[in-house]
Amino acid sequence: MAVAPSLEHDLKFSSRFIAGFLICAPFTAFSAMHVVVVEGLGGEARYIEQFAEQVAVLESAAQSLTDENQIRVFRADDVSRDEVLQYFADLKSATTNSDQVALFLIGHGSYDDHEYKFNIPGPDLTGEDIAEMLNSLPSTSQLLVNTSSASGAIAELAANENRMLILATKSGVERHATRFGGYFAAALQDPSADIDKNQVISAAEAFSFAERQVDDYFERNGQLATEHPRLEGNRADRFSVARLGEVRRDTADSVLTDLIAERDEINAMINSLRLEQDNMTPENYRSALLRHMVRLAETEEAIEARETELGDEN
Amino acid sequence: MRTNRTVVGCTTFLALLSGLPAAFARDIHYGAIFDDDVIACDQLHWRGQIEESRECYSELLRNSDSLAARAEAAWALKDLQTANSLFQQAMRLNPDDVVTRVRWGDLYADSHQDAEAMEIYREALERDENDPFAQLGAARVLAGSFDDAANAFLTPLLTDPTKADGARVGALLLSARVALENGRRDEAVDALDDAEEIVNRNDWPPLEIFALRAAADLLNNVTESSWTEASLEYNPHYGGIYEVPAHFYVITRRYRGAIDLYQKAVDIDSSLASAHEELGVNLLRDNQVSRARKHLVTAHDQDPFSPIAVNTLRLLDSFANFTLINDPEMPNDAGLEPVTLRLHKEEAAAIAPYAIQLTRDSIKEFTERYNFQLREPVIIEMYPDHEDFAVRTAGMPGLGILGATFGYVVAMDSPSGRPPEHFQWGTTLWHELAHVFTLEATDHLVPRWFSEGISVFEEWRSGPNPGVRIPMSVYNAMNDDRFLPVAELDEGFLRPTYEEQIIVSYMQAGLVCLYIDSEYGAESLRALLYKFGEGTLTGEAIEAVLGISPEEFDKGFDRYVRSEHGAILDNFEDWHRTQLSIQQKLSDEDWSGIIELAKHLISLLPGYIEPDSPYLALAHAHDELGERQKAIAVLETFSANGGYDPAALKRLGHWLYEVNRLSDAIDILQSVNLVDPLDQELHGALGDMLLEDQRAEEALLEYSIALALNPHDKATAYYRMANAYHELGNDEQSQNYLLQALDVAPNFRPAQRLLLDLMRADSDNQH
Repeated sequence: MAVAPSLEHDLKFSSRFIAGFLICAPFTAFSAMHVVVVEGLGGEARYIEQFAEQVAVLESAAQSLTDENQIRVFRADDVSRDEVLQYFADLKSATTNSDQVALFLIGHGSYDDHEYKFNIPGPDLTGEDIAEMLNSLPSTSQLLVNTSSASGAIAELAANENRMLILATKSGVERHATRFGGYFAAALQDPSADIDKNQVISAAEAFSFAERQVDDYFERNGQLATEHPRLEGNRADRFSVARLGEVRRDTADSVLTDLIAERDEINAMINSLRLEQDNMTPENYRSALLRHMVRLAETEEAIEARETELGDEN
Repeated sequence: MRTNRTVVGCTTFLALLSGLPAAFARDIHYGAIFDDDVIACDQLHWRGQIEESRECYSELLRNSDSLAARAEAAWALKDLQTANSLFQQAMRLNPDDVVTRVRWGDLYADSHQDAEAMEIYREALERDENDPFAQLGAARVLAGSFDDAANAFLTPLLTDPTKADGARVGALLLSARVALENGRRDEAVDALDDAEEIVNRNDWPPLEIFALRAAADLLNNVTESSWTEASLEYNPHYGGIYEVPAHFYVITRRYRGAIDLYQKAVDIDSSLASAHEELGVNLLRDNQVSRARKHLVTAHDQDPFSPIAVNTLRLLDSFANFTLINDPEMPNDAGLEPVTLRLHKEEAAAIAPYAIQLTRDSIKEFTERYNFQLREPVIIEMYPDHEDFAVRTAGMPGLGILGATFGYVVAMDSPSGRPPEHFQWGTTLWHELAHVFTLEATDHLVPRWFSEGISVFEEWRSGPNPGVRIPMSVYNAMNDDRFLPVAELDEGFLRPTYEEQIIVSYMQAGLVCLYIDSEYGAESLRALLYKFGEGTLTGEAIEAVLGISPEEFDKGFDRYVRSEHGAILDNFEDWHRTQLSIQQKLSDEDWSGIIELAKHLISLLPGYIEPDSPYLALAHAHDELGERQKAIAVLETFSANGGYDPAALKRLGHWLYEVNRLSDAIDILQSVNLVDPLDQELHGALGDMLLEDQRAEEALLEYSIALALNPHDKATAYYRMANAYHELGNDEQSQNYLLQALDVAPNFRPAQRLLLDLMRADSDNQH
């Protein structure tokens, strides 16, 4: 009885995927990626456990993207405001403007209508602290993910043309413990979050997955939503937060290099075709798309075969 | 995301400030008013001289010196704002005028503002605690909301012969109506006789008496009542002569009969808003949507204060968000009974396949068991918003039931309307479809208890999730000896005396049917059904079909209940104590401590599968202790006993898959669709399993539903469709879906590989 969606409708191209498609290997355009994870106080046992699990996932995801010495995790039982601030002060001189920096805050937050605070032992990290420590860095590609309650309170403070923000709440008024953090962490390990199937989860993909899960949760349970996640900044689709597949090694093999170049060329042709879609009949578009997709598939098949050969030779 | 629509409750309208004219027949006040001029106009109206009465009231409104008289005239002319204003002025001038104050209260009561009316009646009673018309007004308002406090006001009027005649007549008519509703016909007739004597003595219109007598005749299966003729002779425009009996058709579920009578009511009095409204509501119960809307609009235009018309019209507006699915799509020679589904557009694709299959299965089952062939298409409506369902059923929000059947029309909550762990939509649909048969096979004469009993019995015996499921609250009632004698079981549904009596009555009715089936055979259940179809009452039917008195039946039933459920009834305290211990051990994560306790409870009541079932605790404990096989066995037993907790069954399904019991895993996950069909991840996973089991057609259905539910990962969803089509040999469709998958994710390797396989196979075929 279910009616399959029409082909014509579903071949209409989403601009979101144009943006994602244009940039195939986001993080390799940058020099280095630095990841900082700060785990806040859980209070109750269930939150302590949840936050620890989320931090473990983030750490594992960071390891799939960058070197161990560029990852710093501050655990809840061993973190202080001074240490975090000092770390960022040191990071300032250790990073360049072409580096990427991601800061993840996993914990509870509070907002008293004046000031946001991320709860850690001792003096809390304030919204101003967070904004200033990121502002001090030369990096022009920054990601701040704050999954705490009331995290939306820092949206304006932390807004910056170099920075993407992913916040669990729309404002400081949403003060309940959030579900967003758990879903965001789950996105980093779930292939269904990888919308474009490039084996890399972008910040946009992780946000989109988690936002959908939050919506679905409240709708299925018939509850009024107590949190509304928000994403600010334009380049979240180009900022990787996890890798699902293996890293493809750089190669000097000319055959492989040519195949990769051919693949990139086909991808560019597909992108151009999409831009022309409205000027084509559905049949012509479909026919052209099919030709390109077949070529792309054949090229990818050849790349895999060549990699296997090279692997066998080694 | 769907949001709840605002639904209007009884008391949310503002007072009479809108200035819009309301429309209701001029009430017969039986001496509550003393103004001769008003009475003169009223007498014209009560005789059906409508134009003359209108001129009389207009003249009165223009020229009377009495504010109260002008208020009455404005009211009669349906200018409520002016009437209200005039009453207010009259009260300012003479606040101790109780007579006028009570009439002012009556104005509010007539415009559905009961709380305001009660306040005014209380003000009147503060000034004169024995004012009979204030007492009558209060009684009417309270009786309308089934509040027993009405009796405090009614009793003095019925028992004190010195009370004003008019108030006594009003009280007698009210008690006659209630008696008829409660099946106490003789009591009603006595009250009507008393009322008639007073009415004749005072030369008041006998119309309301005629109407209730006609209703009494109707309940005695006399459809052509002499009282109708008498009423029409007295006043050819008194719509109440049809409207009042129609109400009794409605409460006995004879909706088509009600429709005919309400239509006659508006035919002779087109300004009777209440009849238009009830006509509209009942036409909707008969799926006559356009006609229903027409009368509801008229009702609303004439009486904008009634929440029922507004709520129902809003519901009809919301039908734009629903889609109609007909199966079969075209009439065919295959002999399939036509089924129509009205489902919300966002859910239709997920629910329709299962709903149609269930409906077909139930029709086959019940046609054979009850020897009845359906004569019309079945229409099934599912509402994601429970308040919409409540309005659909009762015209008002706040209804506690899950489904309702009006004949061939079934309305129920959608799976998304309730938390899945508390609502098996598939079982509810099965229950309601059984009602279609019991109602239609008996021309709606089946008593409520038996129709519910058959429906519950069929849930347990033949439904999509068989098993006798009884909530603990019902065992509590059994333990307190609260089951009713079978001859009185209808009372438990129609006039419950304690909070849980309705659910207790449902379960008792189901057990009665189970008992009859086991003790006397299936043919006895069928025979009883058809005996009820002759209009026979319960006691007589039991005697005629089973050959024993109702009292003997009750004894046999008691013995049956004891033998089937004695274990729990004899160990009630133990059960509750052990349950508490288990809950504590769950909190403490004392998994070993749970095992024996849970097993003990299961031995007492193996059929207990509610959300706090010991099966769930036991399975959880075994799993935490690393005893997966035992956990699986426990949940399988839970499922076999009718357990439907979707989280538990999803877990079981995946566990079975992990131990390579593919076919069992599929069975379990398919059963979850009858509880939670809107989980697109489940549909995807189930589709994968079905494909692995080489059941590509079924896999395709699951994938189609997953896709229709707007999954987040569209590339995978399209790829799955492509894969299933490929397995079915439909490479054209496979390619279509592959292109859609790759359009979303050009680098999706599995889709790329399949595309190449298709192209190469096609190329090979061409060579």
